[in-house]
Amino acid sequence: MISVLVTGATTPIGERLVRSLVADTRVEHVLAVGLEPPESALPFSHGKRLTYLRVDLGRERRIRELLFGPVRDLGVQVVVHLAQYDRVHAQGRSVHAQNVEALRSILELSDRHPTIRRLVLKSYAEVYRVSLELPVLVTEDHPLNLSPSAPQYIRDRVEADLTACARMGLADCEIVVLRCAEALGPGTGSQLYDFLDSPIALRAAGFDPMINVATIADIVVALEKATHGSGEGVFNVPGYDTLPLSECIRKWGAYGVPLPGPMVLPLYELRHWARGSDFSYGINRRRMHYGLVLDGNRAHTVLGYTPSFPVDWPIGGPIHKEPR
Amino acid sequence: MPFSPFVARAVSKTLGGQVVRNRASRLHFPDAGHGYDAFGLSPDYVALGDALAGVVYDKYFRVQSHGHEHIPKVGPAILAGNHSGTLPFDAAMMWVDVLRHTEPPRVARAVADYFVPSLPFVSTLFARCGVVGGSRGNARALMEAGELLIIFPEGTPGISKPFSKRYQLQDWRQGHCEMAIRYRAPVVPFAVIGAEEQMPQLATLPGFGPIPLIPIPATLLPMPVRYHICYGEPIPLDKEFTPEDADDPTIVKEAALRVKAAVQELLAYGLKQRKGIFK
Repeated sequence: MISVLVTGATTPIGERLVRSLVADTRVEHVLAVGLEPPESALPFSHGKRLTYLRVDLGRERRIRELLFGPVRDLGVQVVVHLAQYDRVHAQGRSVHAQNVEALRSILELSDRHPTIRRLVLKSYAEVYRVSLELPVLVTEDHPLNLSPSAPQYIRDRVEADLTACARMGLADCEIVVLRCAEALGPGTGSQLYDFLDSPIALRAAGFDPMINVATIADIVVALEKATHGSGEGVFNVPGYDTLPLSECIRKWGAYGVPLPGPMVLPLYELRHWARGSDFSYGINRRRMHYGLVLDGNRAHTVLGYTPSFPVDWPIGGPIHKEPR
Repeated sequence: MPFSPFVARAVSKTLGGQVVRNRASRLHFPDAGHGYDAFGLSPDYVALGDALAGVVYDKYFRVQSHGHEHIPKVGPAILAGNHSGTLPFDAAMMWVDVLRHTEPPRVARAVADYFVPSLPFVSTLFARCGVVGGSRGNARALMEAGELLIIFPEGTPGISKPFSKRYQLQDWRQGHCEMAIRYRAPVVPFAVIGAEEQMPQLATLPGFGPIPLIPIPATLLPMPVRYHICYGEPIPLDKEFTPEDADDPTIVKEAALRVKAAVQELLAYGLKQRKGIFK
């Protein structure tokens, strides 16, 4: 029996994970942490095995109080860290504090913590560099996007990922980094979801890259397996659906409009300013030209994770209704 | 793609008939769930490519194939041969030839130069037909999946060689042998006779962006030369070496020289056998 701390518990993935952990007989207690007030967080029965706390992880003192307060008292052994800003256009020091510094503090404090023995970080496929000369099918050894011109959204994700990787094997606490495919759903931070969340999806003519998308259900399964597993490492977590971008647009029910490549970026910039859409074509341009598909062999072999839940496409329907 | 899989099916059936459709339906490929593999290969577009390139194969270049029994029916393997002709018709004809002469049909996964994925439309059509960008990771994934690769170790210098250097193998890269040894795959040498004369090249201009050079051919279209494709006996690098030997540069270099010599021998044989450029 273990007790688990889940940060970012009020995000769609966090909420689903907490619900699943509470139902898991191997879990003694779940300590859920989020920014929302308790009365509006986690809209399901809390029971005695779940505690929700409102904590701002952007403040180092609050993290210390959390880890050496409720976390120690409840004997939490595993931390699942999901708390990151998911909006591309969010930037600044407070965003960085939440995205990177919070993780750094948790890692440092975990080293001398009496009960924490394992940390699971949900990272992102966006940390990988997409380039002409690089493979489409991406393993965990693939180069990361360390471009200084990358926006803070990418830089923070890469820095958090590397911060966790840098401590692997050196700390008493086991560290697992899951580089997850984006979960196609609202509030998950999926750029593809924002891209499709419009009747018309503009894309560069002549390019139809392969993309891989996951569901919240699959990401939660991967997080659970990492929570209960042993050992450490970096793992790609691909989704069930691998398909061309045009097919993705069609199945989503949007109308794909191919345009000459140089026209797409300014039009999406215009859309951002006019409608406040969070989709950034600049961040996704290379992926929408050359594609990126996560290779999940390592997660399959070590964690026993296999994507099983297809996206419930509005048009065309899922290929398999049941998990394979 | 400029047209949907439905259009691809209709066009392939109209041009190639039921034979082409049947061939595509017997393809064994790792479907990632929506009728495509992770690299974008789709049987519908393979049928389309088969139908379109098949017309060129049958009517224009009138390809004659020799020794295709040497192509392994299953498991990872690498086809390595000469590259020429300004435009990669030799790769397209090889692709059709392998598709037609293997049972069940195998799609030869051509490993293209790294700039090919940057070309609009071409990159997508190529990907649907099984072409992958020339990165080590892509080739590794295909080898591990037991696929059949076509590699032109001469690369861009081969396809852009001047007419005066026809049938002379250019700088021969070694990566194909390293992969063959590491992933336990035989190398099947092949020679394409005819392509080296199809578009005599006058000069090359420096390229721009990711495109390495721009060829200036003497003809706007390839001439209707007759292609002869000759396959040699597989070189069993998979049996002669262990995967660890792939790290030994001497072994890899010697293996590459063996493949090069086998291709050169096939070229000499093919040139001796043919009765003329157009015959």
